[in-house]
Amino acid sequence: MEGSSIPLSMLGRSCDDERRRIRHEFEAGASARATLSALCEGADRHSQQVFSEALRASRGRAEGFCLLALGGYGRRMLFPYSDLDILFLFENERAEAEFKPTIAEFSRTMWDLGFRVSSAGRTVDECKRIEEDNAEFHLALLDRRFLAGDQELFEKLDQRVLPPSEKQARSFLFSQLHRLTRERLARYGDTIFHLEPNVKEAPGGLRDYQAAYWLRQILGDRPDLRGANAAEEESAASAVEFLGAIRCFLHYSNGRNDNTLTYEQQAEAAEKSLGVADSIQRNAAEWMRLYFRHARTLNRQLLRYLDQKMATPLSLRERLFSAAKNVTRPELELSGTNYGIRGGQIEVTNLTALSDRAAMYALFVESSRKGVPLSREAERSIAYVLSHSELPVRNAAISWEMMKDLLAGDHPGVALRPMHRLGLLNEILPEMRAIDSLVVRDFYHRYTVDEHSLRTIEHLQELAEPPDARGTPFGPLWKSLERRELLIFALLLHDVGKGLPVENHVHGSLEALASAAPRLGLDSVEEAEVRFLIERHLDMSATVQRRDIFDPATVSAFAAGVGTLERLQRLCLLTYADIHAVNPEALTPWKAEMLWQLFVATSNYFSRTLDRDRLHAIDERSLLEQVRTLAKSASTAEIVRFLEGFPRRYLAVHSAAEIAAHFGLYQKLSAAPLQTELKTERHGFSLTLLTADRPALFSTIAGVLAGWGMDILKADAFANSAGVVLDTFHFSDLHRTLELNPSERERFLNSLRAVLGNKTALEPLLQSRDSASRARAPKVAVPTRISFDDTASAHCTLLEVVAQDRPGLLYDMGSALARLSCNIEVALIDTEGYKAIDVFYLTSGGVKLTLQKQESLRELLQGTLA
Amino acid sequence: MMKVEAVIQPSRFESVKEALREAGVEGMTVTEVRGHGRQKGHTEVYRGREYTVDLLPKIKLELVVADRLVSTVVDTILKTAKTGKIGDGKIFLTRVDEAIRIRNEERGESAL
Repeated sequence: MEGSSIPLSMLGRSCDDERRRIRHEFEAGASARATLSALCEGADRHSQQVFSEALRASRGRAEGFCLLALGGYGRRMLFPYSDLDILFLFENERAEAEFKPTIAEFSRTMWDLGFRVSSAGRTVDECKRIEEDNAEFHLALLDRRFLAGDQELFEKLDQRVLPPSEKQARSFLFSQLHRLTRERLARYGDTIFHLEPNVKEAPGGLRDYQAAYWLRQILGDRPDLRGANAAEEESAASAVEFLGAIRCFLHYSNGRNDNTLTYEQQAEAAEKSLGVADSIQRNAAEWMRLYFRHARTLNRQLLRYLDQKMATPLSLRERLFSAAKNVTRPELELSGTNYGIRGGQIEVTNLTALSDRAAMYALFVESSRKGVPLSREAERSIAYVLSHSELPVRNAAISWEMMKDLLAGDHPGVALRPMHRLGLLNEILPEMRAIDSLVVRDFYHRYTVDEHSLRTIEHLQELAEPPDARGTPFGPLWKSLERRELLIFALLLHDVGKGLPVENHVHGSLEALASAAPRLGLDSVEEAEVRFLIERHLDMSATVQRRDIFDPATVSAFAAGVGTLERLQRLCLLTYADIHAVNPEALTPWKAEMLWQLFVATSNYFSRTLDRDRLHAIDERSLLEQVRTLAKSASTAEIVRFLEGFPRRYLAVHSAAEIAAHFGLYQKLSAAPLQTELKTERHGFSLTLLTADRPALFSTIAGVLAGWGMDILKADAFANSAGVVLDTFHFSDLHRTLELNPSERERFLNSLRAVLGNKTALEPLLQSRDSASRARAPKVAVPTRISFDDTASAHCTLLEVVAQDRPGLLYDMGSALARLSCNIEVALIDTEGYKAIDVFYLTSGGVKLTLQKQESLRELLQGTLA
Repeated sequence: MMKVEAVIQPSRFESVKEALREAGVEGMTVTEVRGHGRQKGHTEVYRGREYTVDLLPKIKLELVVADRLVSTVVDTILKTAKTGKIGDGKIFLTRVDEAIRIRNEERGESAL
């Protein structure tokens, strides 16, 4: 631009005055759009003036040379302390050399005027060539804008040189932008919910908007491109205005290009109602909720574009072959009535079904079971239904059965996160609204309270394949955990109290449970388990930090508070997840190990003290009342006789309803001395037997199960004071005999009765299965470990056997015990993958085993298990 | 100035921190460490696998204090960290030549 020479001192003053004026107008309420526009216009004008002066001083004409604005500056989004991204474009290398002094003068002057110029120099040919290791430059070029110099040169680049090379490089640009964006999002934990977010770089920040803009440009005008509708565009524009205002505020506040919105700045922004047009006065937490709403809009828009697939350019030969095969998209694999899976995502095949909430929930149950996310289109459809309350809705209330399926899946986080994003989780659990985008000022927590709760669940689901050594010991615990849904439900609610006006957040969370549980239909046992977890969710962490976990007194006190092994398992996993989700560094290897050590010590304490605590039934008033109510025609005396002397663990592993059912079997013993109950379970079957104790009883039952091809997963054996044995075996039906042939169930029970009644021998049954079981070699070798403990129990010798699991193993062990006249007082049988872990409380002749007998038993077992 | 380095039982840390705060000492660096002196390790067997902790978890505190505060700090740590059992830990003192506050380049005791 030609003009008269202006002294630098005057130019400098004019720059400063203009900056001050723009700042003043912003602080007086000018919009972000107006502020950025004014800053950009000022930068343009000064760049052109300085360029003109620099040119005058050197050559006078800009033939073969021009200035371009790139990136944010090119898009006219110039923030107060942002760099000016400028490209010096040359016709050729000779021009580059000729204009060097001009560039030097220009750059120096611009710095002196307070502009931070970030520049690059390229010839036209260099811009045409796609540099594979400099994708950022080519992406910034997408926002090119002429500033000064040879306009014809710019038009040549803009209209003739770049369009064809950008079209050809579309796939490359898309994949590079995709990669860079994913890396950036991952650096911030793939979440918008940071307590002190970076409003430019974090997910949901302005960079998301920029990346979506570029992706849209690269993807072009494809007819299948699923772009934003008008409402979504308007939301995005509002979000950009809001975040733009924050970024301007941060720049002015910090006096530099620092985009982190600190707690103090949140409070200041809330007080000023920054970015908000209404007159509502908000506190910092409420204002931040607005922030997260806008961040969610930008992030969702970006993710939608990231999910688009870029067609790989094919040669003519490839196109002909693919046309012949009619290969266009991956096949849709129908999974349910209204949905299918394509390309690793769930798609809705029947949109009208979404008016039925049960159909909607079914999508998420599938997602949780299989770990397959919903497609963006599916989410969009659900978002539409949820945001239009005038549409008819059927089955609005989720059943607890369906919710259990969702929560108990192997991948609950894959379902719960989009449910949260769409607002569906708040619809099912309105108690969670209290922590929606809730910022709680805390030195340690990195995320909002709702984000923290979701992360706890995601940290658990990744234990299926622990990403690092911290999770390794906890993995098997997660995989074998029963009633997972109770733990996940507790995690959803455990911090809800932080959003309620209560002194102690635990009390608030318990209130939320008291509200949610009856509405959803949890029974009293389930509610009690969840209540325990919420109430005690800080106990294990507190014990690890404040007590000597290697002191037996600490372990026994902790165990007394926990009560049962099952609660310990859930509490341990909850604690692991809760610490892990505070921030990425919170769960140090040191803390993880301490937590694991406390778990192991307490678990062993439970195993070793099993027979110490026996029921004195007359004191169990509440239980007696419940059983009497359920059993209807029973007398208290009769129930007391049944319960007297069982280990307390019996109450821990059976509900009042189950105990009442067992009592029902007990009442029939006089008519038939062996009572059985066979039930279908989630992973197989359970067999309960009630009968008088006799030698080799346990091994015989195990033998019958082995003979029928059943794989025993878990078992409990208890005896009461009167010598009545209650054995429960949980097993899987390896050959699907009972599963596929319901009539075989009665035959199985008859076979059991016949063997136990000495009417049929066991050996022929076992022989028929022997050859089949030997054919299978173990995939993982488990060394045998046999240990005795004479100190854990006052009356019994504790035997722990860890061995390679195989069909018939329990029968072999039970037979060895029977052969040496060892009586099983209590048995705990468990498996973990290929490992059998069995604990027996033994007596012989009514007393502990002698050392000699222990050695004989060890020898016999080693031979049997070899 | 003296650097006070104390390796203590994790279960005593909160009490020590609170006692030091009451004694007017707030600045400290805390590290999760492992180690042992005469205290033996700990082994638990769980499901057939041994979990041995040879190097026991401890907390290391590091404070740099003015000379006049050294005996107060040492006495406070001794009083609150002691359980009387093997494994209570140790305190080490080393002289510090200089301390500098990064923010404003203050030196000496005023930088503490």
